[in-house]
Amino acid sequence: MSDATPNTNRFAQFKLVLLGESAVGKSSIVHRFVKNTFDDMRESTIGAAFLTQSINLPESNTTIKFEIWDTAGQERYKSLAPMYYRNANAALCVYDITSRSSFNKAQEWIKELKRQATEGIVIALVGNKLDLEENREVDQQEVEEYIVQQSAEDDGNQIITSECSAKNGDGVLDIFNSIGRALPVDEVINAAANRGRPAGSRQQGGIDLARARRQQAAAANSCC
Amino acid sequence: MPPFSRVERRESMAERRPSMSYTPPVIPHLEGLEKPQQNHIELDQADVLILGTGLIESILAAALSWQGVQVLHLDNKSYYGDSASTLTIDQLKKWCIEVNQGKLPNFQDAQIYIPGGKSTNKFKSKDYGIDLTPKIMFCKSDLLSLLIKSRVYKYLEFQSLSNFHVFENDDFNKKISNSTSKEDIFSNNSLSLLTKRNLMKFLKFILTDNKNPEKKQLLFENSKQTIIDFLKGQFNLEDPQINELVYSIGLCIKPTTKTPEAIAKIKRFLVSFDVYGNFPVMISKYGGPGEISQGFCRSAAVAGTIYKLNTNLVDYDPHTKIAQFSDGSNIKINEKIIISPTQLPKFLQSTYNELVNDEISPLPTYNITRLITVVRRDCKEWMSDQESSAIVVFPPLSLPTQNNQSVQVIIQNGGTGICPSGQSIWFSHTSEPDLNRAKLDLESAFEKMEASLLRETESNLEKNLNDEDFKINSSANIYSTTPIMVNSFKLGEHLQNFVPKEKLEIVCKVGFVQKTLINPDLTNVFQASESNNVILKSPASSDIIFTNMLSSELSYDGIITETKLIYSKITGSDEDFFDVDFEDEDDEGNDDYTRSSTTTTAANTIANAHIDDANLVHTKSTTSIGDNSNDIAIDDDDDDDNHEPFGTDVDNMEL
Repeated sequence: MSDATPNTNRFAQFKLVLLGESAVGKSSIVHRFVKNTFDDMRESTIGAAFLTQSINLPESNTTIKFEIWDTAGQERYKSLAPMYYRNANAALCVYDITSRSSFNKAQEWIKELKRQATEGIVIALVGNKLDLEENREVDQQEVEEYIVQQSAEDDGNQIITSECSAKNGDGVLDIFNSIGRALPVDEVINAAANRGRPAGSRQQGGIDLARARRQQAAAANSCC
Repeated sequence: MPPFSRVERRESMAERRPSMSYTPPVIPHLEGLEKPQQNHIELDQADVLILGTGLIESILAAALSWQGVQVLHLDNKSYYGDSASTLTIDQLKKWCIEVNQGKLPNFQDAQIYIPGGKSTNKFKSKDYGIDLTPKIMFCKSDLLSLLIKSRVYKYLEFQSLSNFHVFENDDFNKKISNSTSKEDIFSNNSLSLLTKRNLMKFLKFILTDNKNPEKKQLLFENSKQTIIDFLKGQFNLEDPQINELVYSIGLCIKPTTKTPEAIAKIKRFLVSFDVYGNFPVMISKYGGPGEISQGFCRSAAVAGTIYKLNTNLVDYDPHTKIAQFSDGSNIKINEKIIISPTQLPKFLQSTYNELVNDEISPLPTYNITRLITVVRRDCKEWMSDQESSAIVVFPPLSLPTQNNQSVQVIIQNGGTGICPSGQSIWFSHTSEPDLNRAKLDLESAFEKMEASLLRETESNLEKNLNDEDFKINSSANIYSTTPIMVNSFKLGEHLQNFVPKEKLEIVCKVGFVQKTLINPDLTNVFQASESNNVILKSPASSDIIFTNMLSSELSYDGIITETKLIYSKITGSDEDFFDVDFEDEDDEGNDDYTRSSTTTTAANTIANAHIDDANLVHTKSTTSIGDNSNDIAIDDDDDDDNHEPFGTDVDNMEL
């Protein structure tokens, strides 16, 4: 953080994956965050690879863009592909505070995450359906105990905990802000800067298939 | 997914079971008795059941589900990709054992060699993603168009590959590298003017519109002629250029390759060049077909396909259409069941055998022998600057084993994400039918590459170099004072004079044989019929369609054509294959992606062109390679100059 100049607006993009039992409200949290709605906005209408949303962290003058991958139902029978976890910088492990079994499942997902994901991935353990407080089955005490036990294992994964309601929006943005603060923003920005940008060199991320060179070439040809 | 509603919670058994009767599994599940049948598939019926998450099956699942078809997609393995999977070393070890136990039909003779003990050969299995069937993608190809149209490319990363090396006269003295134009592709500056003129004449011919009467006539007259004789007779080309054109640029595997097939393959390379940059092909990062399969499966899942791994089809009753699965699920399949050859359930084995080996037109089997070696070298010597992969081709008769067919090798280092940095994976294969010969050819090719690599890194390197091997990078950046070696393969003496002082360090070496019913020349894909392709062979009355193992083809050519064959067989036509118009993400500000009409129409024109292609095949007999459709897409699209990338270049190439 020392070399972060406060007046420069910095930008970094991160991949975030969703995990958790079916029907705990994974997609709802994302839709609340991305669209600020609680509708069943279907990814299928845009053939969505993933949704994106940016947040600003005023204290470090940083814009963080999340590339959010939904499970597309492939979690239901434990059939998520390695591609899903690959290069994920953060994971939202969601449970339903009114369902004990969903909390147990969330712990299993964290285990799976540690097995499959990149080291140092930021994990957020999120209890959804805070608006159904009266039916609560998982209390915060319990979550804390789990976290203490996890940190004892000391495997370098930090776990953020929080609760939210995708239905009324409470706590949703806070989750993403906390994740944003936990992400290695400086590392990513510096790494990008170190790559240098010799003119005309290809992007680090490989070739953008939607950008054929011919489109530029055609434009050039048309003038001669 | 409707949030909050309990719809997704398990329904009661009564709800879940279809109303018609079936026999519940007799033996209760032993594990998880407290939660019986926890993994039961919560579905009463599906339109199409697909067994196997291989490349073709995955594209099919996505294509069907985006048309609203309810697909249930299962795999009996614990990973995606089926026989085209990308595996870690631990998975590969297990895979080899299963092959040798006969548990993986169409694979045999698997060997895995991991030298040294844990202390001397340290590696993390998870750092490796080894493709069972690695492939390269041409920059102008139907798969690429589909990746864009389906938006599956967003899940993937692609990297350029520009170095194609040909091994010849016991040396790697030819290469196609980082050319800035098509004429540069022939890197040898010592070509005589006459040879250059002949080459350019041929290139011009190849890039001429397929409808050009002279071209048509010449191709028709030479349709039975081998490409070697054709290039010698019609264009006076000499062996080195012929080898380069036929085996490296064309990636043909036999000297007997017929002219139309080879011409189509050479053209595929040339039209792919300069589409995205000065390279003809790309490779997908982190794995090839295994990775692309996962991408299409994800797309299918977004469109509603249900996925479950580790699950077999146990029985199917054609009258009730109820399918029984190894997890105890019973699901009605309304339309068709698509089965990959490695997922074949026991109860269908004889049906399959009878279909393949019937008396009228038994289908011949082709062998693909593969040798995959993970070495502790990044092999940068073979790769273009800023790239992480290369192709090496050993043309027929170039090896001491007198190989009958080309040995083709894809080299990828850690930069492609399939192994740690400082290492690389050499994927070699041959279609040589004689398995003993095939193995010898692959071993011999490995030795040649090993010797070449060690020679180049010998300490007395400077002695072997001359000024021509260095150039000063003229581009204006801070590194410009560093000389860059250009012709690394041309170093020093021939390989036979070289005795390496050290051995190449090997992390892992895997060999196996794969069987397929697809001809290496892909004729039974591009001219598929009821008598030559198992997809079309199964009777229309049957609910079950069997798919093919992947072919030996180094590129993805033929994959989409095959997928469409199955798609048509299910839906009656391939006209609406991936005919989806995704809405744009309104708030994403898609400045990054110029999702222009060009990219989407490309796929359409290819699909349409395919019909023309069929006609074309009839009129001029045997042009067989699928990128004909690309050719036509380019040639036909007069109103879109983006489809004529070389319109001006062709004239400039005349000397």
